[in-house]
Amino acid sequence: MSEATALGDLAVATSPTSTCLEMTGVSKQFGGHQALEDVSISLSPGRVLALCGANGAGKSTLVRILAGAESADAGSITVHGQEVAIHAPQDATRLGLSFIHQELNLVPKFTALQNMSMGADHRRSGVIDQRSLRRKALAVQDRIGYRVPLDAKVEDLAVSDRWMVSLGRSLMRDATIVAMDEPTASFTQEEAERLYAIVDELKADGVGIIYISHRLEEVLQVADDVTVLRNGRLVGSYAAAELDVPALTRHIVGHDVEEVVHRETENDPTQAPELLRVEGLTREPRVRAASLTLHQGEILGVAGLVGAGRTELARLLIGADSVQSGSMTLDGKPYTPKSPFDGIKAGIALVPEERRSQGLILRNSVSSNLNMASLRDPRRRLGLFSPRRAARIARDAVTRFGVKTSSVHVTVGELSGGNQQKVVVGKNVLAGPRLLILDEPTVGVDVGARSEIYDIIRDLAAEGTSILMISSDFEELAICDRVVVMREGAITASVPAARATKERLTSLCFGTTEQDLA
Amino acid sequence: MTVTALDPTAVVAAPSTSARVWKWFGRYGALLVLAILVIGTSILEPTTFATWDNFINILNQSALSAIIAMGLTFALVTGEFDLSIGNVASLSGVVCLSAMVDQNIGVVAALVLAVVIGAIVGLLNGLVVTLMNVNALVATLGIGTVAVGVNYAVAGGTPVGLPDPAGFIQLTLGRFLGIPYPVFMMLGLAAVLWFILNRTVLGQSMQAVGGNAVAAQLSGIRVNRVRVFAFVICGVCAGITGILLASRTGSAAVSGGDSYLLAAFAAAFFGSAVLRDGEFHVIGTLVGVITVSVGFNAIALVGLETYWQYLFQGLLLILGVGVGSLARRRAAAA
Repeated sequence: MSEATALGDLAVATSPTSTCLEMTGVSKQFGGHQALEDVSISLSPGRVLALCGANGAGKSTLVRILAGAESADAGSITVHGQEVAIHAPQDATRLGLSFIHQELNLVPKFTALQNMSMGADHRRSGVIDQRSLRRKALAVQDRIGYRVPLDAKVEDLAVSDRWMVSLGRSLMRDATIVAMDEPTASFTQEEAERLYAIVDELKADGVGIIYISHRLEEVLQVADDVTVLRNGRLVGSYAAAELDVPALTRHIVGHDVEEVVHRETENDPTQAPELLRVEGLTREPRVRAASLTLHQGEILGVAGLVGAGRTELARLLIGADSVQSGSMTLDGKPYTPKSPFDGIKAGIALVPEERRSQGLILRNSVSSNLNMASLRDPRRRLGLFSPRRAARIARDAVTRFGVKTSSVHVTVGELSGGNQQKVVVGKNVLAGPRLLILDEPTVGVDVGARSEIYDIIRDLAAEGTSILMISSDFEELAICDRVVVMREGAITASVPAARATKERLTSLCFGTTEQDLA
Repeated sequence: MTVTALDPTAVVAAPSTSARVWKWFGRYGALLVLAILVIGTSILEPTTFATWDNFINILNQSALSAIIAMGLTFALVTGEFDLSIGNVASLSGVVCLSAMVDQNIGVVAALVLAVVIGAIVGLLNGLVVTLMNVNALVATLGIGTVAVGVNYAVAGGTPVGLPDPAGFIQLTLGRFLGIPYPVFMMLGLAAVLWFILNRTVLGQSMQAVGGNAVAAQLSGIRVNRVRVFAFVICGVCAGITGILLASRTGSAAVSGGDSYLLAAFAAAFFGSAVLRDGEFHVIGTLVGVITVSVGFNAIALVGLETYWQYLFQGLLLILGVGVGSLARRRAAAA
């Protein structure tokens, strides 16, 4: 501690427990939603702190605050014993904080070295010093004991190697605290093992690591400490050695899984004829041998953690991506869509996850958007388009789906999120689907519009349309007849409505089996 | 009050006065420029400018640029670019005249040939962009350069002339009811192209693809097919322009149509500020071309020197697009 003595006054400020990062009493509100409430975490150099929690528990918000992407409403952050204010990503970098997100933020056309060098200051008289950058990159790779070819373009590298480039960039910036978000999500077992070894190297070097993962066995293997969040609040911080997977699951879920009767179903749609059968559907890395069946008029929920492959599965079903292996059968006939055109022709429509970027043409009118998926309606003979007829269809749809707008000619971008979402749902319903897939249909939708969307879904199902509803809000899956759980690319459980409690689904998402719950 | 679905109060409170003024300006500003130009020149040169003959003359001067620019509008509507149109126009003129000289085909057959040439090059552009996934700027630059090569191979680099051009020249010189044929062609094509863009499923699909290609694809629109069609329409219009140009000049020069490229882009971009909020559309492009022609005509009649034409066209483009964009931002902010 001779250095601390030399620093005099500063030594007083240094926390006696020698943590490298502390966040204390952090709160954050979005609109009316309390995303974080009085959350505190603490990380020491050379240790791994795992952040655990279900979707919406507040992990991402906490990390975003640390990264300077959001600002906290209350609370303080202390880095290496000094209280700091992080207003922008540059502040975080300057403090030695570094983040490796799931989306790696690399430039595909640049080489590994160029990507690693971004943000690292190696200029001599204003000119980038290539030789010293390369020396430093090699040193960094020696330090973690793994080499990625520095002159290979990132787009030519394997996913795990890209991750290593991202880590390399963090270390080039002399990061002392590294946050890793789901690092092994698309790794093979072997690649994951290599990552664990690298984490050990970094620990030995005194780097503090924040580790976010939904794989609980992995968390317990890698982490020294585990902090659990639930609904934006701190559940507790534990030593990893004292936990096992069931105990950790209990902390994440809240209480033991119990049976709740959700709703009475007068007629059981699971007895109706089968509409869709999916067997062993695979598209690496996100969808791996997923199988499910869906009956006519059935509302099937798909629960899962973010990144479980649900959106990717939906894209395969509509034909937006190509299947690598496995089969789909619609009405007993093979179904092999080449594009969403085939999907819609076969009677499958998708309400995509990103309504503004994937669902709507924001600058176009409500009418134009509502008619977009049904342009090829056979009733539009000779390929002619009548704006009058389109407007009439749109007005009927606006009434039917309760879109609040002064006219169908209003630009759709001017509507509220809930009304925009009703337009996206309406557009797809107008395509006359037999199967409507909804991917997170109520995200960013106000409570009123939300219940209206549920009503639309129930009405469609009552008319015999099958519904596949992907949602990370497990409470809303209560409107389903049955819920399947997707985990790491496969369907791992199927739960009837009566037993689909939030707690049970959350446990299943984390890999607990039905037998464990029984 | 009962809340009906069509709730007039649902969309934000009435916009402020300044917002409305800016919005008006964004929509009608470009037309205002044309109106000022027409009225101003009419006052300055009442005997030469404000006459029926000069009006028809202006339309006639606009015809070729308008046809090629309206075609280009289709590529722009789908969110693409086409840099090959000038080369296609040159190629079309040279090949059609060569065929008339060597194969002795008639004027109508030559016109059909021009359409076919344009369609083929447009198809190539579209396939390279969609199947090979090449950026449209690069693809059309490449295909356009290939078209130049073919052009030289056919004509050997020298202008192609007809031994007896009288009949062919009538294609652009001839008049019906005192109005030159090219004016009819321009207005006829404008009507057809407007109809395709606004009254057919294909046109709606093009607008959807240009508005948001991802959303269009997920809505079951065959995005690539729609893009190819847009390039074909663009190429066909360039082909027609090429043969009309050859008719007007009496021979086909190897690079005769090249200069239409930038003028067409300028007109289409200026036109995007006409009546719409920065969207490309057929009528806007037509107004853009005519505004430039009126300006050129006025400059000539008032007796200004030629360099004023360039100053005028450049400033018109910047002001038309720039003021439109500024007005939209002001309208949104106010």
